[in-house]
Amino acid sequence: MSVASPRTILAVDDSASMRQMVRYTLEGAGYKVVQAADGVEALEFARTGTVDLVLTDVNMPRMDGISLVRELRTLHSYKFVPMLVLTAESGQETKQRGKQAGATGWIVKPFNPEQLLATIGRVL
Amino acid sequence: MAAPQAGTSATHPVAAAPSESWAVERQMANTLGLCETQMTSALQESDQAVDALIRIFTGLADTMRDLGAVSARLPPEIKANVADDLDAQLAAITKQIGSAVIAFQFYDKLTQRLGHVRFSLATLAQFVCDPAQTQQPEQWDRLHATLRSLYRTQEEREIFQLMMDGASHTASNEGRCETSAAQSTAGDIELF
Repeated sequence: MSVASPRTILAVDDSASMRQMVRYTLEGAGYKVVQAADGVEALEFARTGTVDLVLTDVNMPRMDGISLVRELRTLHSYKFVPMLVLTAESGQETKQRGKQAGATGWIVKPFNPEQLLATIGRVL
Repeated sequence: MAAPQAGTSATHPVAAAPSESWAVERQMANTLGLCETQMTSALQESDQAVDALIRIFTGLADTMRDLGAVSARLPPEIKANVADDLDAQLAAITKQIGSAVIAFQFYDKLTQRLGHVRFSLATLAQFVCDPAQTQQPEQWDRLHATLRSLYRTQEEREIFQLMMDGASHTASNEGRCETSAAQSTAGDIELF
């Protein structure tokens, strides 16, 4: 009998406390979590590794979340990976930019752990 | 005792004439710089405290999760006596942890918003030092547009709009509280 390996989620946020909250929530639901502090770090990881889902903030130093989504969509192995944006930004204009870049969905902070897990469950 | 002459006072001596390097603009810039520095210092202190608090919180939460796993592995004869009560207690703690996860995120939001205030103070300090700019209404409009572009949250945009429309500090806060209660976007989820 084979045991399924846990699904891996790449969590990208420049705030260490936010990454901790996301990690705690996702690991508790059985996911494996890989963390990155900005878009550049996440992209470096993505060039050599794959994940089942990307959860990214928008406003980060070096590379923002929308640019990250756009860059990831150009990588063959990330073409169909769900990418959720988790941000305090609620403006329609930014949301549209995220959609055009290839984001799968938009979640406004602060997230509710149960709702976050339910959303991830829907897109995975 | 002679009466004080007009324009002087025994308890309020006349201020010395400003030196050449003294200027209203410079005083305003220095005071704005003081506010920004105080805010930066307070944020750095609280960052360290909150980081420590979050490490402790996640450690406790992880331990609680381990206890849940231990409870699930209890032999049936022991579990029969304590399982319902234990599971109820663990469920209650899990719910409280969920609320704490939401509450901690407000600190992140606060830090972001205060970062915008710090940038605004620094920008204003530079602006007021240039009389060529401060005398032109269109330069003030440009400054406001710059500050507006910083704002990422619904709350920041609401306050900006209320203040630009002429509301007082108090009215802005009250008005924003009313609209936020009805239209908060926190936790909104949209799948494309």
